Amino acid sequence: MIGESRAIPEGGGAMSVAEIERGLARLRANDDGTLGARASVLNLIVVTDEESAEGVARIINELSGRYPSRALVMIADPEEGRTNLEIGLSVFCNTRGGAGTNVCAEVVTIHVEGPPAEHLESLAGPLLIPDLPVFLWYPNGDIPASPRCDGMAALAGRIVLDTGAVEDTEGSLRAVAELVSYEETPAVGDLQWAALSTWRSLVADLFAPPERACELGKIRRVEVQYAPDARSRALLFSGWLSSCLGWRPESASRAENGGRELVFSGPSGPVTVRLTPNESDAALRRVRIFCDDEYTFEVSRSRESTDARSAVLRGDEVVGERTVHLGPSDTGALLGEELRLVGRDEVYEAALRRAVEILGR
Amino acid sequence: MAQTQITPEALRDDRRLPKAPEPGAMVIFGASGDLTRRKLIPALYDLAAQRRLPMEFAVVGLSRSPMSHEEFRDRLRDALEEQRDGGVSDDVWESFSKGIFYLAGDSRKPETYEELRGFLGELDEERGTQGNRMFYLSSSPSLFPTIVERLGEAGMNQGEGGGYARIVIEKPFGRDLMSARELNAGIQRYFEERQIYRIDHYLGKETVQNILALRFANGIFEPIWNQHYVDHVQITVAEDIGVGTRGAFYEEAGALRDIVQNHLMQVLCLTAMEPPVAFDAESVREEKVKVLRAVRRMDDGEVERSAVRGQYERGWVWGEEVPGYREEEDVDPSSTTETFVALRLFVDNWRWAGVPFYVRAGKRMPKKATEIAVQFHAAPHTPFSRNGTEGLEPNVLVIRVQPDEGVSLKIGAKVPGSGFEVRSVNMDLLYGSAFLEEAPDAYQRLLLDLMLGDPTLFIRADETEGAWSILEPVMKHWSESGEIPFYPAGTWGPEEADELPERDGRGWRRP
Repeated sequence: MIGESRAIPEGGGAMSVAEIERGLARLRANDDGTLGARASVLNLIVVTDEESAEGVARIINELSGRYPSRALVMIADPEEGRTNLEIGLSVFCNTRGGAGTNVCAEVVTIHVEGPPAEHLESLAGPLLIPDLPVFLWYPNGDIPASPRCDGMAALAGRIVLDTGAVEDTEGSLRAVAELVSYEETPAVGDLQWAALSTWRSLVADLFAPPERACELGKIRRVEVQYAPDARSRALLFSGWLSSCLGWRPESASRAENGGRELVFSGPSGPVTVRLTPNESDAALRRVRIFCDDEYTFEVSRSRESTDARSAVLRGDEVVGERTVHLGPSDTGALLGEELRLVGRDEVYEAALRRAVEILGR
Repeated sequence: MAQTQITPEALRDDRRLPKAPEPGAMVIFGASGDLTRRKLIPALYDLAAQRRLPMEFAVVGLSRSPMSHEEFRDRLRDALEEQRDGGVSDDVWESFSKGIFYLAGDSRKPETYEELRGFLGELDEERGTQGNRMFYLSSSPSLFPTIVERLGEAGMNQGEGGGYARIVIEKPFGRDLMSARELNAGIQRYFEERQIYRIDHYLGKETVQNILALRFANGIFEPIWNQHYVDHVQITVAEDIGVGTRGAFYEEAGALRDIVQNHLMQVLCLTAMEPPVAFDAESVREEKVKVLRAVRRMDDGEVERSAVRGQYERGWVWGEEVPGYREEEDVDPSSTTETFVALRLFVDNWRWAGVPFYVRAGKRMPKKATEIAVQFHAAPHTPFSRNGTEGLEPNVLVIRVQPDEGVSLKIGAKVPGSGFEVRSVNMDLLYGSAFLEEAPDAYQRLLLDLMLGDPTLFIRADETEGAWSILEPVMKHWSESGEIPFYPAGTWGPEEADELPERDGRGWRRP
């Protein structure tokens, strides 16, 4: 992607909505006096902190090619006693369109301290482009309260969270499950769930041929190896398998290595899911599914490669295998997948509920 | 116990997960040719890397040159490396290429098919391809009828053990109406229409599909997309390149067969068709065929008035002097093959009655451009003074397919000042560059559709015949007259082409 970033740095103090709009339009103007067209498919509000702001800005620029948007980056510090508002504007203009035409995406960065930081919706609301969907992203693991209590959540059509961004993964999953239980909550997405799409697709592919589909009913044991900071993915993966395959949660126990052993009651007997942390670069390292006949299904990722290998084994004999690209799984790519969707993700919600349910046993 | 409660789709019933094709084997006839190396294998490799190919998938290349499986794989890998400049993953290639095989054989001989059938049976056993077969005919078109017949005779027009059999035909779909009918009848003798996938890669292009999105996903265009509001339509498919090394092929084909019969007619269909009730194969193709049926057939007199051909001679394109067509490699120095075609067509139906469609396609035009321009009637009355509206032209909506995909709308706007001067302003909406993500290659899209059994973007038999029957009188008339007008390379065709719209009081727009 070819593009250039243009900015009016922060420090202008408080600006009115009209001044911000004029400022953005000025930034879109090219040297020759022509105006870069503004292409927008969505509004993206990001609630973040000082340390993450730079990374967030980079991700927004990267995503502007696929999801040209108006992004509002809110950096709030309500603890600060004195009210302070700083606004910075930037546009990222892509020039691939040819014919010398720019198409620009816009970023408004709002630093807010003191009491207004408790009312971010009053700043974000007037800056949204009308008639376009609103996505609200919390990159740092924060989880909003119900929209009834949180004005920002009430602005959004979809809230994007990250249950893997905090130490207390299980608490985070519980809080998200509570959030989605409110009727007025908009659609909720989770970057940890987005990261599972490829793995879920690879596992589903293993059982796609009709003669293997019947093995789904014969699963006895599942092993998931994950990096310690990817516990949320491992739990959501287990929740997904069990909710899709109709396994009832029975018990959960902690293993010595910090992992978990989950027991479900499946259609043909108990199913054990063992989650094992593994020092690995790969968030998910391996999923193995053992059936009560001789079949084993496996998806694994090697340490150094971004490829994944799927295999079907009968006893020790490999009867099918393939290697594929896992695709990018950086935060930008995962956020991109979330921005693709509108409406509630019922499969996620079912997996989340099941994961929380088994943790409570 | 209650194992039957779990459906095979239990894990797949999820909008985030893409639809997965069934296992299957793709047999490529003419596998040593260019298309396999340049298009088919790269597209399949990308599908494999992107997790869209099932584990139980095989490619069998068939061709006359003797080669081992390994040699065939190496050749394909070399070509891919060259194309991707090193961007080939060893692990993915290793896993994908294990499913690539090669059979040397003469596609005219029945014994080749016995061997092929046996080999595919072994693949069903070893790689789990489950009796599903795709036959990709990328050999010389003259072999198509024989290959189809041999496949039918060998019973390979059906998959094994309940699997499917599908056959893919590359264009050209015949040379004229009669040969197209013969080809279709020959294929349909052994394969049902639902098994036949005629491929025109143009339809696999994202930008071409966007014509449908623009028309049918937006409520504001359809109400004015008819003779009440539209004065005329211009469709241009222009290339700036010459015939290059394809002289021998082009001598046989010409612009009418190479571009107009397929690409240009498809664009015409997508522009003029009624809204299909669903985006599925039968609904979309039925509406396209209705357009072709409605295009007025020309008699000899009409061909004289409404069809122009031309051939480029030496000229200048983008600062470079280029040879004339007759000077090109493998071209007869007295050739009368057309490199440019312009037609005035009418679509005789309720929507388009009386609206001319001026269409043109040519090589060595000033630039590469594919676009559809819909010119609307002028405002019936302007309340402003004549002096103030001199610069005002009727509204034109231009759909640019390539390059710079997007829409332009020419509208009248007031010039700032104390008077009331109105001028035309072009408003550009480059939706193509709003999304910068690389669109998938057309072959990648179409091969996936083939594996998923979705023929929406493939051509039905009656479409090929419909297109030929429109052009039949033109080909006949031109074959009887040896005269061909010339145009200098780097211009928009011969002067005669300008006369087509000028006679109706209109003019070609400059793309």
